[in-house]
Amino acid sequence: MAGLQLKRVAKRYGATTVIHGVDLEVKDGEFVVFVGPSGCGKSTLLRMIAGLESASDGDIVIDGNRANDVSAAQRGLAMVFQSYALYPHMTVYQNLAFGLENLRTPRATIDAKVRGAAKMLRLDALLERRPTQLSGGQRQRVAIGRAIVRDPTIFLFDEPLSNLDAELRVQMRSEITALHARLGTTMIYVTHDQVEAMTMADRIVVLRAGSVEQIGTPLELYNRPDNRFVAGFIGSPQMNFLSGRIATIRDEGARIALDAAPHAASDAALPLRVSTATVEQRVLLGIRPEHVMLGAATPGSLRVAATIDRVEQLGAASFLYCTLSSGERLTVHASGQVAYTGGEQMTVNLPVSDTHLFDATDAETAVALR
Amino acid sequence: MASVATMLSARRGRGKADWTDWVSYGYLLLGLLLMFGPVLWLVLSSFKSAAALNEFPPHFLPYGQKSVAVAGHETPLPLYRVTLPDGATRELAEVRRIGIQATLVDPNAPDREYKVNIRDRKPVRDLQFATGNYSEIFAKFSFGTYLWNSVFITVVATLITLLFNAMAAFALSKYRFGGRDAVFLLIISTLMIPPTIILVPNFLVVSELGLLNSLWGVIWPAVATPTGVFILRQYMLTIPDELIDAARMDHASEWRIFWRIILPLSAPALAVLAIFSVMWRWNDFLWLLIVLSPTEKFTLQLALNAFQGELTTQWHYLLAMTVVTLLPVTLVFAFLQKYITTGIASAGVK
Repeated sequence: MAGLQLKRVAKRYGATTVIHGVDLEVKDGEFVVFVGPSGCGKSTLLRMIAGLESASDGDIVIDGNRANDVSAAQRGLAMVFQSYALYPHMTVYQNLAFGLENLRTPRATIDAKVRGAAKMLRLDALLERRPTQLSGGQRQRVAIGRAIVRDPTIFLFDEPLSNLDAELRVQMRSEITALHARLGTTMIYVTHDQVEAMTMADRIVVLRAGSVEQIGTPLELYNRPDNRFVAGFIGSPQMNFLSGRIATIRDEGARIALDAAPHAASDAALPLRVSTATVEQRVLLGIRPEHVMLGAATPGSLRVAATIDRVEQLGAASFLYCTLSSGERLTVHASGQVAYTGGEQMTVNLPVSDTHLFDATDAETAVALR
Repeated sequence: MASVATMLSARRGRGKADWTDWVSYGYLLLGLLLMFGPVLWLVLSSFKSAAALNEFPPHFLPYGQKSVAVAGHETPLPLYRVTLPDGATRELAEVRRIGIQATLVDPNAPDREYKVNIRDRKPVRDLQFATGNYSEIFAKFSFGTYLWNSVFITVVATLITLLFNAMAAFALSKYRFGGRDAVFLLIISTLMIPPTIILVPNFLVVSELGLLNSLWGVIWPAVATPTGVFILRQYMLTIPDELIDAARMDHASEWRIFWRIILPLSAPALAVLAIFSVMWRWNDFLWLLIVLSPTEKFTLQLALNAFQGELTTQWHYLLAMTVVTLLPVTLVFAFLQKYITTGIASAGVK
């Protein structure tokens, strides 16, 4: 078991930089998830940690030792690949034993370890099969077993569940979480699925275009996203973003006037994180669909008129897709069942305490203001 | 058997045979005759005795004259169908012949002799396979040596070819390095140079290396084949890189990745190359003729050539030896042709 530090790690292919100086510290035994849209460099970063790609810049420190020049084999890590990468010409047993054979482990030890891992992953009955004779979930378990037998200091997972069907994915998700609890080994897990990230991670690293956008526990990212990208990426359905301006700034915070209701500034102030905000500054107000309230006015809320376009009734919850007078779209997640139908007019409450505020002057970064 | 019958009676459509069926079968039959006729004639002729080979008009099957053992004679006597002066025909054994007069006896009653004109007797013939052609070449000539030389060159050259070409293909398909494509193009471009053009430079190199009159002088120049590198590289490109990454994570050295992962997974392409290599090496002639001078270094192909003497040629031995020479490559092709077609298809070679 070991910790991992990345210090200003960068990766360049010729003139293009795909990883821009990533800093990260992973504590021993932690389950860290790299999440981001495809092409954000999360897999590249993982392969750099594994030693399959070299770092163009910065230091990769494993267990206190700089590992940049250590080969993949010598780093003592194990990786589970998206395609599982099982050796098709070997049986499950040989697949599990291959790494140990390369380490010149005594035959008896190999046998004990392979059978131990097979038992843990319920592969005992499949040891003599070849990968082509296994189902997707079984192949996945063999890939994990191949990582386990070598007692790696860190497990690396590269989108391991993306080839499984939805049901199996949920099942394997909890199996990997249980495995982490049992082994207590550091695990780094790459996914583009924010649900996987939220359910499995101790800490999540959100990446975009080769840069870290935010690092934090799942709830930190959900409750206090650093910028608009993180706010939009974490949570499903996506957070609503409504443009507006800062009407007033007092000591207790700013009052916001939305474009959708320009003359009604919020009756409660939003405390600000940064002191650079100015009156009349363009801002984006973010509110998650589940925080939008239907019905009568509540204190401390912004009230906005909305036209319902479509209603999805899921039984336990309902989704209302609305358009505001400014033309912006607003998704509302109401628990239980609602009596609204498409085409209806209504007024929704946006509780100020649940809103997020982003700087709209720089749309690219859109840093959180509160 | 039923499937063969189905194949041979296949028709266009369901009903009566269409004229296109006749044309197709006629064309196929012609092809069969053209392709297989000479081979069949060769095999049948290889079973003929020296005398039967010189007969004119030639027979398709190996006929020989029947002979019988007759009491009072040490060797079996040739049998003739004789028309006696009284008009009766009988099968008699010839004791001797002087001029146009032949003396014959009845094998069952050897005491009485018949004297007849040789025009009145015709040899009694039956099918006789002169298997001696085959058994004698082993004893009379250093056939064993030739066979061994051929087998040695074929097997060793094929093994080295597979190893070297696979290593080159692995590097060219799985490593990223400057000039990789240039190297590959260079290797492929050598396909455009006919071997005869580089015969003399090759000879000089082999001669300088002191490999003349050695089997290794045949093997080394032959092992690096552009075709082999091409077939294997194209196949190895289809092996996912993640497998190699996984093996690296599994502490495998590059050599182990090659030996334990890449080679087993390239088996279909290796089989194709092995078949090609066996056929190339077994049928090699020109280069060997130049490099190997002493008869004890001859391969079967060279020996066949040397068999055609300046004055006489022992055709019955030559034909038997030709058949023996053809056999291995025919067997290889017959049993492994399935791999050839699938392998060529997967390597994308036309």
